[in-house]
Amino acid sequence: MSIIEVNGLQKEFFIAKRETGVMGAVKSLFKREFTKKEAVKDISFSIEKGEMVGYIGPNGAGKSTTIKMLTGILVPSSGDVRVNGIVPYENRQENAKNIGVVFGQRTQLWWDLPTIESFELLKAIYRVPDKRYKENMDIFQEILGLNEFINTPVRQLSLGQRMRADIAASLLHDPAILFLDEPTIGLDVVAKEKMRTFIQEINREKQVTVILTTHDMEDIEKLCQRMVLIDHGQKVYDGEILAVKERFGKMRTLVVDLEDTSKQRFVTGGELVKQEGNRYWIRFNRDEISASDLITQISQTHNIKDLTVEEPDIESIISRIYQEGFTEQQETVQI
Amino acid sequence: MGQLNMYWTFTKKAFLRSAVYRFEVWSRTGSNLIFLVMWGSIWTALYAGREEAAGVSFTAMLTYIVVSKFLDGVNEAGTPLWDIQEKVRTGDISLELMRPFDVPLRYLFADFGSVAFYMLTALLPIYFLLFLFMDLTLPTDGFTWIYFILSAFLGFLIRYCVEMTFGLLTFFLVETGGIEDIFYFAMSLLSGSVIPLWFFPGWLETIAMYLPFQSIFFLPISIFIGQISGSQIYMALGIQLFWLVVCYLILRLVWNRASHKVVVQGG
Repeated sequence: MSIIEVNGLQKEFFIAKRETGVMGAVKSLFKREFTKKEAVKDISFSIEKGEMVGYIGPNGAGKSTTIKMLTGILVPSSGDVRVNGIVPYENRQENAKNIGVVFGQRTQLWWDLPTIESFELLKAIYRVPDKRYKENMDIFQEILGLNEFINTPVRQLSLGQRMRADIAASLLHDPAILFLDEPTIGLDVVAKEKMRTFIQEINREKQVTVILTTHDMEDIEKLCQRMVLIDHGQKVYDGEILAVKERFGKMRTLVVDLEDTSKQRFVTGGELVKQEGNRYWIRFNRDEISASDLITQISQTHNIKDLTVEEPDIESIISRIYQEGFTEQQETVQI
Repeated sequence: MGQLNMYWTFTKKAFLRSAVYRFEVWSRTGSNLIFLVMWGSIWTALYAGREEAAGVSFTAMLTYIVVSKFLDGVNEAGTPLWDIQEKVRTGDISLELMRPFDVPLRYLFADFGSVAFYMLTALLPIYFLLFLFMDLTLPTDGFTWIYFILSAFLGFLIRYCVEMTFGLLTFFLVETGGIEDIFYFAMSLLSGSVIPLWFFPGWLETIAMYLPFQSIFFLPISIFIGQISGSQIYMALGIQLFWLVVCYLILRLVWNRASHKVVVQGG
């Protein structure tokens, strides 16, 4: 059985309509109208033990809503959720023992106290045996270097240190599943890299299942083999990251700077995606046309001052999927 | 046992946290004493040299105010209303809901820690000195002390339930200023914290008698100064126990509704 099973999950919210103006405010005191918002519509997926899955989508796509339903603090409107065999919202406290949660934007540590105090508190909350506590703290020290700031009050920690402490705190009770919501937000390059290495090591050593939501595509690319892509509350893609790269990785973008654009001429086999002044971005499929063919076509009528060929990174692939869906287009463009 | 140990850890950590805010202890102590002097002066003026009013001696009345301000200090060291509002406002309440503990209990035990710190570092030493140097009446037998402590503790728990319930209304309202005003009004007047219930006009006294607030100040202090004695003490403790049960049930009801609202409507 999969460690996480989600079937036909739906969540709709009713949002009170606010009317403008004084009269509107008075009216809303007595009668309120509600609009229905479908945050998650019919999402299904399952995740195996030990997997690291990137759960991504643009703002407002329904990511947090899904995560909240998996952690049990939100009841689905319909559909089934099972986390480690438990229905989270029916048994929130039991579910809590199996999961660890890190919100990049919040902290679960006690702001005013030295970091170690929060760990002791969590030890009591999750009833971590002394021996296990010591072992885990040793691991955290080894990989995260916790000891350098363990006696510093949380409010005095740097963001990087606080994130390290937070992620360690979420793992103290050896949860089977770890939810990471933007764990690298606001961190500098070095701290981000450290954080990723730590997540990888934890996943490998403890077989923790990791679900990662982030807007940082580098996080996804470096950590996950699989991604679930959602948009407007629906699943757009679920599969290997490599497969996406394979599929869209054939696309290249030719960037040319032309000297003179007055002459009209058709280029076939490429798609003009952007133009700024005399600079043109032409996307093409390398299986269908070679870069040199394209350049030859253009150079017949224009003087090319400069040119580069860009390979797509996962970020641009994903932003393209958001914008255009999963189709590949070929058309004739005019430059 | 493990449960208790977990909540007890909250008490210990809250105790430590209070130690971080030493300045707050001093400022709170300062304002506590200012109000003590103020109400002490008002009552001295009202008695205007008389030995007795409404069957209560001046010394007993002064003791009433001093004990009341002591209990005020104890109660104000726990701040569930403020805590819960902050958690709801910042959205951190969802993190609390994700933990394997009961939220209202967790805050109660944390409050024990804050109260203990404030009592040990400020209230007990200061009020010990006050009783030493002022002409006040102390209970003469040990039983009265025990009943007083028991009654004051019940009062603390009732106040906690009421205050937490008011705090939880944040879940249902955007603006809570009005709610807070009602709470603080009831806490200062209807509880008998500055005016004993026996000085109330008949109708107001009756109202106050049928509300839980008198359990927080009026009943324990009356036991302390001997206005309530003998079998009346059991009656008073019974009333407090009754209100504790009622307020606790209301708290649970409101908490269930509030957490249900979070999990259904997303807060």
